[in-house]
Amino acid sequence: MNKLKLLLALAIPLVAFAFLASCGDDNDSSSQDGTAGSITLYSGRNENLIGPIIQQFEDATGIKVNVRYGNSADLALLIDTEGSNTPADVFISQSPGAIGFLNGEGHLRPLSASVLNLLPEDSRPADGTWVGFTGRQRVLVYNPEIVDVSDLPSSVFDLTDPSYSGRVGIAPENSSFQDFVTAMRINQGDEVAEQWLKGMASNNSPNYPKNSAIVDAVIRGEVDMGLVNHYYLLRVLDEEPNASGVNHYFAPDDIGSLVIATGAVVLNQSDAPATAEQLISFLLSSEGQAYFGSALKEYPLGNAAPALPDDLPPLPELTTAALNWQELGGGLLRTVELIEDSGIKQ
Amino acid sequence: MTSVKKSHGKSHYFQTHASSVGRGLYLGMAGWSILLAVIFVAPFGYILFQALDLGVSWDDNFANSLVPLRNTFLLGISVALSAAVVGTGLAWLVVRTDLPARKVWAIAAPLPLAFPSFVGAYALIAGFAKGGFLEELLSPLGIHSLPSVYGFWGAWAVLTFFTYPYVYLPVQARLSTLPATFEESARLLGRRPLEMFATVVLPQTWTAISAGSLLVFLYTISDFGVPSLLRYLTLTRSIFDNRLFDPPTAVAHGLVLAVLAFMVIFAERIISGRGLSEEGHLSGDVAYRQALGRWRWPTTAVVAGWLGIALVGPLVVMGYWVVRGFLNRGRITGPLVLSFDGIWEPARNTLFIGVVTALVTVFALLPLARLTARYRSRLGAVCSSLVLAGFGLPGLVIALAFVFWVLRSPLVGFYQSLPLLVLAYSLHFGAQATRVSETAVETMPQQLEEVSHTLGAGRLRRFATVDLPLMSPGLLAGGGLVLLSTMKELPITLLLHPIGFDTLSIRIWAAAEELAFAQAGLESLVLVGLSAVLTWLLIVRRVRL
Repeated sequence: MNKLKLLLALAIPLVAFAFLASCGDDNDSSSQDGTAGSITLYSGRNENLIGPIIQQFEDATGIKVNVRYGNSADLALLIDTEGSNTPADVFISQSPGAIGFLNGEGHLRPLSASVLNLLPEDSRPADGTWVGFTGRQRVLVYNPEIVDVSDLPSSVFDLTDPSYSGRVGIAPENSSFQDFVTAMRINQGDEVAEQWLKGMASNNSPNYPKNSAIVDAVIRGEVDMGLVNHYYLLRVLDEEPNASGVNHYFAPDDIGSLVIATGAVVLNQSDAPATAEQLISFLLSSEGQAYFGSALKEYPLGNAAPALPDDLPPLPELTTAALNWQELGGGLLRTVELIEDSGIKQ
Repeated sequence: MTSVKKSHGKSHYFQTHASSVGRGLYLGMAGWSILLAVIFVAPFGYILFQALDLGVSWDDNFANSLVPLRNTFLLGISVALSAAVVGTGLAWLVVRTDLPARKVWAIAAPLPLAFPSFVGAYALIAGFAKGGFLEELLSPLGIHSLPSVYGFWGAWAVLTFFTYPYVYLPVQARLSTLPATFEESARLLGRRPLEMFATVVLPQTWTAISAGSLLVFLYTISDFGVPSLLRYLTLTRSIFDNRLFDPPTAVAHGLVLAVLAFMVIFAERIISGRGLSEEGHLSGDVAYRQALGRWRWPTTAVVAGWLGIALVGPLVVMGYWVVRGFLNRGRITGPLVLSFDGIWEPARNTLFIGVVTALVTVFALLPLARLTARYRSRLGAVCSSLVLAGFGLPGLVIALAFVFWVLRSPLVGFYQSLPLLVLAYSLHFGAQATRVSETAVETMPQQLEEVSHTLGAGRLRRFATVDLPLMSPGLLAGGGLVLLSTMKELPITLLLHPIGFDTLSIRIWAAAEELAFAQAGLESLVLVGLSAVLTWLLIVRRVRL
């Protein structure tokens, strides 16, 4: 090895660094009226799902949206850690829970009436800090080769029956499951939620880390059925049309049919709140709502929502969009505690 | 047990180290190490700050850490032990025996490290869990149900499959620089292979094995993907479970995890017998090869079987996903498509960031390794422990700590830029470079260094012509570990990459999250392919096989 090689080996990273450092940040200047030519979005919703509609927004408005994708909870923690320095203007969360966390830490900026008015009146949160623009429904996915259709319950409360012992996969650490328990608390009280959790625990319901793992396990036949969000199976069927999985919907008025909203918020620290609201309004526009319904097979939750596609049952009555965390005793921490104390976790 | 006589006389024939290498250089290394310590203490400072800020209490936040602590320790030690056995065995077979197709094994053996753990574990579940490929394969033979993959044993097995390269690479590097004199003598004395392995090879590779096993332990205790998917409650899992709604508990468990990491790092320093570690010897002879005799083919079968599960198994599953997606591509609706578009740029970025991180990390930590290994400096040992412990914390904690400090520092203008992303990777993966570099420095024959000094070679020239070539197998092994780890890293990448700088691990994660397995499989195959080429270029090509 000669000296030249060594020097090169040392110099290349240094030069690369100097170069990269020089093109460090490209902060855009925003004007006094809260608008900007570009905004930053932290999205807990996947790029595959949200990317196309962001592109449409960019094309329609000429506004550049810089998106950082990640897990909703992780991004909420990131925003909280960044505090006043956060580059984010808008945060999109898969889970109302992460929004509740940011709300509790005081990071949310109340939305204008013009944005809130894009939602049906009963879906507007009391403090007006967030909107739920699209929803995924809770369902019971089952393996038709193992489960007889007559075994399928009409209420999620039936699942605590001993006949379902060891047969229903759940994801107690997953935000969707937690949101579902929170909704059950709001809707039917802590007592009922606690009883249900204990029932599921004594039924030894197998644990999985998340929805996708449950769907996968059901299709393999490892577990008979599982509580998940509706669209995971639809995604799997895209790639594997013969996969043995079917979504079973609980009765429309059952809490088991809860629709979990994907929410959007404007952050307190945004220097372009008007542009940020413009993006959120676009998600609630007829264009945005049509995209979520037809392309993603989700439930669009805005006033501008078009008719649902044929393969989706009608929107159930309960959506998390209408649930107000603030009124809940003990907040979301209490939900996690109830889950923890029930012994449901394995 | 006869063991090889260790030469720990740090050559009295020449001048003392301080004067032979120069006081200025020593001070320079010490100063640099203190700077490193200041950087590497950041995550722990952050955890302590949070603990004080949030107000943690024993009853609410620590008492419930006992079960996860016990599990974490148990899993960490078990995986470290099994990875040590497998990694050392494989390295010895590849470097020191007449195992057939050694070049193939040499490229394949480090590769399971290239799987991002969330996809790797998924693929292993698809392969081996109930209703998986293996069960379908075995069902004609009348085997209809396999043991459950969940719980301790599943997590232990999967983690062993994915982490043994942390032992394999350093041991392979050590063996390849080790003269075969002792093995020759042992053979002439009529030692059988196994006996020789125990009495000659093991003592000479002990520090490398110990260093690698420590990395395995730290990886295991900080991994989230496998314990979460395979349902085993560890501290890292409970940090994740509580991170949003019960931050004091998450922070308290983070503190427990950090203490565990430091204790094990301290214990390893003692176990690895730092004071007695063997020094390398100069020798130009061709490495000795043990003839496996009638064990040649059975051994080959075992090696092939192991790599079949750890590497080929997941690859086959991923390949199956790709083919299935390709066959059904007409049906795939919505935004999910199988395409090569958008793979090349992330692949290029992944390669770039991996190579830069590996170079920066290895060279930044080399002075520290020298200080610790050559001078037995206490300062070096403390700094080195801090660097090591950074690998024992989950990537998410490292990332948040990094954000916390950077935004309170003059570096704030570079937030979420590439240089800081590299720095954050180094913070997490520095352990892989430093511990392996220490072994490299430590086993460098000192006589040579001093001879070259006596002959009047300049410092830089000496470093370039003497030190670097001698250490290069060790440094390449350390750099290779950092490279492969960086290329698949996810949590730090997601939070800190400059927007628009997509990497393969980001793409794979995005696809896997939406169950777009064809896409995730394709991108994973590209990542593993890239890793294979780099492993060959950097490591395999340089080792005589």
